[in-house]
Amino acid sequence: MRFYQTNEFGLFALIILFGAFFALATPGFASVFNVFSLTRIMSIDIMIGFSMMVVIVTGGLNLAVGAIGVSAAMACGWLIEAAGVPYPVAILLALAFGAFLGAINGILIVRSGLHSFIITLATMSIFFGLMIYLTHAQAFRVIVPEFAQFGKLRLFGTVSALLIVSCIFAIALYVLYRFTPLGRQMLAAGANAAASELSGIRVDRTYIICHALSGALAGAAALMVVARNGAAIPSMAGHLGQDWLLPAFLGPVLGGTLLMGGRVSLLGTFLGSALVTTLTNGLLQLRVGEFWIQAMLGAILLFAVLLDLARRSYLQRRGIY
Amino acid sequence: MNARILRYLQSDWAGPLLIIVMGGAVIAALKPTFLSPFNIQVLLLAISVNAVIALSQMIIIGIGQMNLSVGAIGGLAAISFAGMMQVWELPPLMAAILALLIGLTGGLVNGFIIARTGISAFVITLASLSIFKGINLGITKAQPFYHVPDSVKAFGNTVMFGPIPWLVLPMVVTVLLVFYLLTRQRVGRYILAVGGNLHAAELSGISVKSTIMWAHAISGILAAMAGIMLVARLQLGQPSIGDDWLILSFAAPVIGGAVLAGGHVSVAGTVLGVVIVAIITQALVLFEIDPFLVQVVLGGLILWAVGMNRIREVRFQKSLKRI
Repeated sequence: MRFYQTNEFGLFALIILFGAFFALATPGFASVFNVFSLTRIMSIDIMIGFSMMVVIVTGGLNLAVGAIGVSAAMACGWLIEAAGVPYPVAILLALAFGAFLGAINGILIVRSGLHSFIITLATMSIFFGLMIYLTHAQAFRVIVPEFAQFGKLRLFGTVSALLIVSCIFAIALYVLYRFTPLGRQMLAAGANAAASELSGIRVDRTYIICHALSGALAGAAALMVVARNGAAIPSMAGHLGQDWLLPAFLGPVLGGTLLMGGRVSLLGTFLGSALVTTLTNGLLQLRVGEFWIQAMLGAILLFAVLLDLARRSYLQRRGIY
Repeated sequence: MNARILRYLQSDWAGPLLIIVMGGAVIAALKPTFLSPFNIQVLLLAISVNAVIALSQMIIIGIGQMNLSVGAIGGLAAISFAGMMQVWELPPLMAAILALLIGLTGGLVNGFIIARTGISAFVITLASLSIFKGINLGITKAQPFYHVPDSVKAFGNTVMFGPIPWLVLPMVVTVLLVFYLLTRQRVGRYILAVGGNLHAAELSGISVKSTIMWAHAISGILAAMAGIMLVARLQLGQPSIGDDWLILSFAAPVIGGAVLAGGHVSVAGTVLGVVIVAIITQALVLFEIDPFLVQVVLGGLILWAVGMNRIREVRFQKSLKRI
């Protein structure tokens, strides 16, 4: 497939196109402050997209990304504020906690043989409910200043430093899928579980690791939200963490990650999430009515899956794909 | 005689019914207020709305799909119902019919796209969830419609006789209609056939596409129905109606023995599932346990129910092998 026929190129072109359009249409869009806040939200959405992508690889999904993320962020807040743990340790422990919650999902799914949808729907309710119960729905606001400082840090005066974090995670995931046996096993298990099992891959263990990875990435995304807000707030992902579901699926689906599993597009997910953030921010700057944004995001998801269907059937007819 | 009792015990609703009777007896013994007329009225109000929500999801589970947009359709219908009465000053019955039509349209849109494209219902209804919710917020600007006619308020908050609220009436009618539809009507049988085995259904001459559209249309109407009932109960058209329906809408059908792969649902089981959830919620209030734990209990119930269904399924398959 030629480069200009790839999904990634299309996304890249759309980002440039919409970016240029918004910059011309409204002066606020290209302002230094807006670019900073845009890249800050973008980096968080990219991480949310990654946390869903790593389980979509297995052909499953993880509805609990929001609930796990908030739980990990609240755990970090508690460790720093109440337990007095130094913040680098607290961050690592919070990520480990996210991975632990993800692993619980994975174990339940593998042991029961049920679809990840219903299991993560249940654990989403359980994790979020326990988190609210334990924190009494109170935020941790006295988080060390390093957090908020990092959230405010700008590179070259405009781009948020959080974007660097997302890039590091993107590169790490690329290395995982491209160069490590574990990453290859994840893709193989997702593409054809039975064949992988016969070729000696422990599919169950691989699935559990995928879910643990998803939990850790969700935790990382939530910690980035904490850096942005300067506080760990229980409602930062909405009721039950549902507000993360749309960005979590928009990125991978726009990026061309197959929902059936076995295929992954890191650059696509990265660009897909970036495109969504650019569109949201641009439409807000245009003042087309902030309440209509959610309807438009839904329409974009619908449009993306329909376009992908059309693109694939076109390429199939031409015999390229 | 024994065989008959055994058959009843193996049915989907026997387990939940046993839990309700025993759980109810234990709670009533510990807290006599549980059986007070007021408490029963509160329970029935919760059960009435939640049963319609659960049935809306159950139809889609029956066809082997899922509908994330149940709450969004219900919310959109709810604010349309209240909005049409406040802004256009339509009579309640007229507004209710139009709101049901909005629900029908929402469901048909879901069904049409899923049937035509073959894309997973999860992604399509996730997208339509945000579209419907976005339209809701776009219309209301996140502000409730306050001017609901007194007749509607009365319907949602007064009793027919004894502790039985009026809201039970639309619930009972809906439950009977859905039961009749699934067991006696062609379309209902088609829905379960498609859910049970899509290819077999298609090869036996069932139009899979139109059956999927039917199922989503029914689901949309039921979601709208629940939204309208909630407006009557809350006495205002709140934009946040439907936001918290998702977990419950799956919990009740799976407690009632629905198989998520499709083809097997139980109307009676689903209603009993709703009753179990209502009793547990009420018990948490009566025993002054943190109400936030309701979420944990709901999630735990789903895990327990799908686990039990799975064990039953495995046992059933083993018994088939033995033959």
